[in-house]
Amino acid sequence: MKINPELLEKIVREVLAGMETEIETGGKSEPSLSNSSPSNPPLPASETVAGVQMTEKGPAARGTDPKEIVLAVSPAFATAFKTTIVDIPHSSVLRQVFAGAEEEGIHIRVIRVYHTADVAFMAHHAARISGSGIGIGILSRGTSVIHQRDLNPLSNLELFPQSPVIDLPTFRAIGKNAAKYAKGESPTPVPTNNDPMARPRYQGLAALLHNKEAGFQDRSKASQELSVSFE
Amino acid sequence: MADAKRSKRFEILEKRPVHLDGFIGEWIEVGLYAMGSPQDPKPSIKIEGDKIVEMDGKSRGEFTMIEQFVADYAINVKNAREAMAKSETEIARMLVDINVSREECIKVFTALTPSKIARVMEEMNVVEMMMAMQKMRCRQTPANQAHVTSAKDHPVMLAADAAEATFRGFKEIETTVGVVRYAPFNALALLVGGQVGRRGTLSQDALEEAFELQVGMRGLTSYAETVSVYGTERVFVDGDDTPWSKAFLASAYASRGLKMRFTSGTGSEVQMGAAEGKSMLYLETLCVMVTKGAGVQGLQNGSISCIGVPAAVPSGLRAVTAENLITMCLDLEVASGNDQTFSHSDQRRTARTMPQFLPGTDWIFSGYSSTPNYDNMFAGSNWDISDVDDYLALQRDFKVDGGLRPVKEEDVVAVRNKAARAMQAVFAELGFPPITDEEVEACTYANGSKDIGDRNIPEDLKAAERLMKDAVTGVDVAKALAKRGFRDVAESIILMMRQRVAGDYLQTSAWVGSDGTVYSAVNDPNTYMGPGTGYKMSEERWEEIKAIPWAIRAEDV
Repeated sequence: MKINPELLEKIVREVLAGMETEIETGGKSEPSLSNSSPSNPPLPASETVAGVQMTEKGPAARGTDPKEIVLAVSPAFATAFKTTIVDIPHSSVLRQVFAGAEEEGIHIRVIRVYHTADVAFMAHHAARISGSGIGIGILSRGTSVIHQRDLNPLSNLELFPQSPVIDLPTFRAIGKNAAKYAKGESPTPVPTNNDPMARPRYQGLAALLHNKEAGFQDRSKASQELSVSFE
Repeated sequence: MADAKRSKRFEILEKRPVHLDGFIGEWIEVGLYAMGSPQDPKPSIKIEGDKIVEMDGKSRGEFTMIEQFVADYAINVKNAREAMAKSETEIARMLVDINVSREECIKVFTALTPSKIARVMEEMNVVEMMMAMQKMRCRQTPANQAHVTSAKDHPVMLAADAAEATFRGFKEIETTVGVVRYAPFNALALLVGGQVGRRGTLSQDALEEAFELQVGMRGLTSYAETVSVYGTERVFVDGDDTPWSKAFLASAYASRGLKMRFTSGTGSEVQMGAAEGKSMLYLETLCVMVTKGAGVQGLQNGSISCIGVPAAVPSGLRAVTAENLITMCLDLEVASGNDQTFSHSDQRRTARTMPQFLPGTDWIFSGYSSTPNYDNMFAGSNWDISDVDDYLALQRDFKVDGGLRPVKEEDVVAVRNKAARAMQAVFAELGFPPITDEEVEACTYANGSKDIGDRNIPEDLKAAERLMKDAVTGVDVAKALAKRGFRDVAESIILMMRQRVAGDYLQTSAWVGSDGTVYSAVNDPNTYMGPGTGYKMSEERWEEIKAIPWAIRAEDV
């Protein structure tokens, strides 16, 4: 598969446009701490991407239901971006993760995380407010983690670091395994796809995508609960 | 729209592997720029008393925590005025002048600001950088490190591959995991297999930092490398860290007699979306200086896992060469990358390695994949085991010591088998899920995880958890081996445990010989000052490199 040059150019143009605004407005915000970047347009609180409606309901609370897992997505997930790095629609990603968990009788609560774009910290945060203590983090480009409340943030139950090799069956298996951990089982980890040539092809693009994604971060904004309905 | 008539030649060129690589244009504002960005600061220094009050155009009050750490701990204030007064060209010329000693260069470099160091590199082309590396690396004899991983995290296969890697000449071996909970077994496999292949092997388990320290203290690993530092405050803070917390972690290793080095590399900050518009090499210079300031003996750099980023922009691989050289110029051990896939093109892959291979570095690769790349859980290395005969040929073609030696098939089969059986014995003795004779046989002859069966993973994971809970140490492993008839391997492990107490291998750029002798920048210092000086290949070593088994011998024809 080839990198889509149009997408690449679009990202470059959008981010550059945002930066010009920043310079024009003299937006010399201290980059170290408050990096709610003015470079991106405000995101809608409710968004429908082909087949899924996601609406923010207010700050995400700690859950008590042991039959829930919390799925953390990034601000650009299914809003500014609609697909993963290999063009899998975010709606399909959600559908498969939900289906995988439902097969095990576990339901998923979705939150949007603004304070970090680091998928390990997103997933750990999700695990900490999850009734079962199990959380999942998914970035727009597809990078995913299954996490557990009592682990170190940079440890994990299962990590899927190579976004270009994560396909829909893998997303379904991630939902299923997360649900099994929530039930106290010890599932066989989702088989690791390893493509040693993914980096040469995608790393430059991943850097562009992440710069865009990180632009939506807002360190002072609390995570938001999302209602998700499939159409 | 009718398609334009195509040139057959261009159609062929487009199908070449190099066209699968990602190439991107420079983008100054986010720091997608290799070296010498117009947004990099200009060098300056002001000193009051023995304190730096201005560095690279910023006053002390404006310093980020990284800049403050660097200004306070990584610059020799006593020499700074004199060193900073020299022009960048003058300093660059010192590096390639055979009449200027390594010591004189280090005296200057350890008194420069980050921006000044980065600008010295801008004065140099890659051949000059290679000439400088020959003089500036701190240990005289080059060495090599290997990755030993498995897509199945298969403990028996890992032990066999570790044994083969160290038998082939890799003096350090490094593993990581597909499934993080397998990590204790991976450490165990490299400890046992590594010592079977060559007594004195240093092994490590690249994982979450607290875990790495724990297995190190238990004697299941003998060094650590994956302690990451970054060039912008935001990336540092995102990892819940500061230069001070990293320095504290470094001292924890030192206090337990464990070798360690930091890791950094060009491209990491822009990859994480927080380069703040600075060039990759300028930010990497800050990382090298944080390492120096923390008192750590060495650094793994050369972009490492972000190599796809510098390699995608103009002059990127020159910047990657420069970052290795900067590390040497600050008198640190360098494990110089070449450890991650970045290109589909065999020409680019080979060319990327020459700036480290030809002059030699402390660890040319960090590391070389000792397994097929499909089993490489660092997401693939620039060279893998399938390339090893090409590597041996290059050593022979250029009379270069790249740290490896030709081996015979029957010898490799023997060490792999012994490592697999030793692992079987340890598992049996410690009550872990049994390793069958069939698994031993399969892993002895296999090339990769596709050639072997699956283990019962949930059972293995439970046992791995128990290994940690029961606080199994290197001594327990040695006892198990001795009890089951592997006395020599047990002795090797005890030899490694003894190194902790002696502490000699905490010296800069150390590796351990099979008789327990430590070789480092202290007793094997680089003395290069032009032709006829520095590393000289012994006759014995040259005979070894020459003897690739598949060469036709005149006497046989």
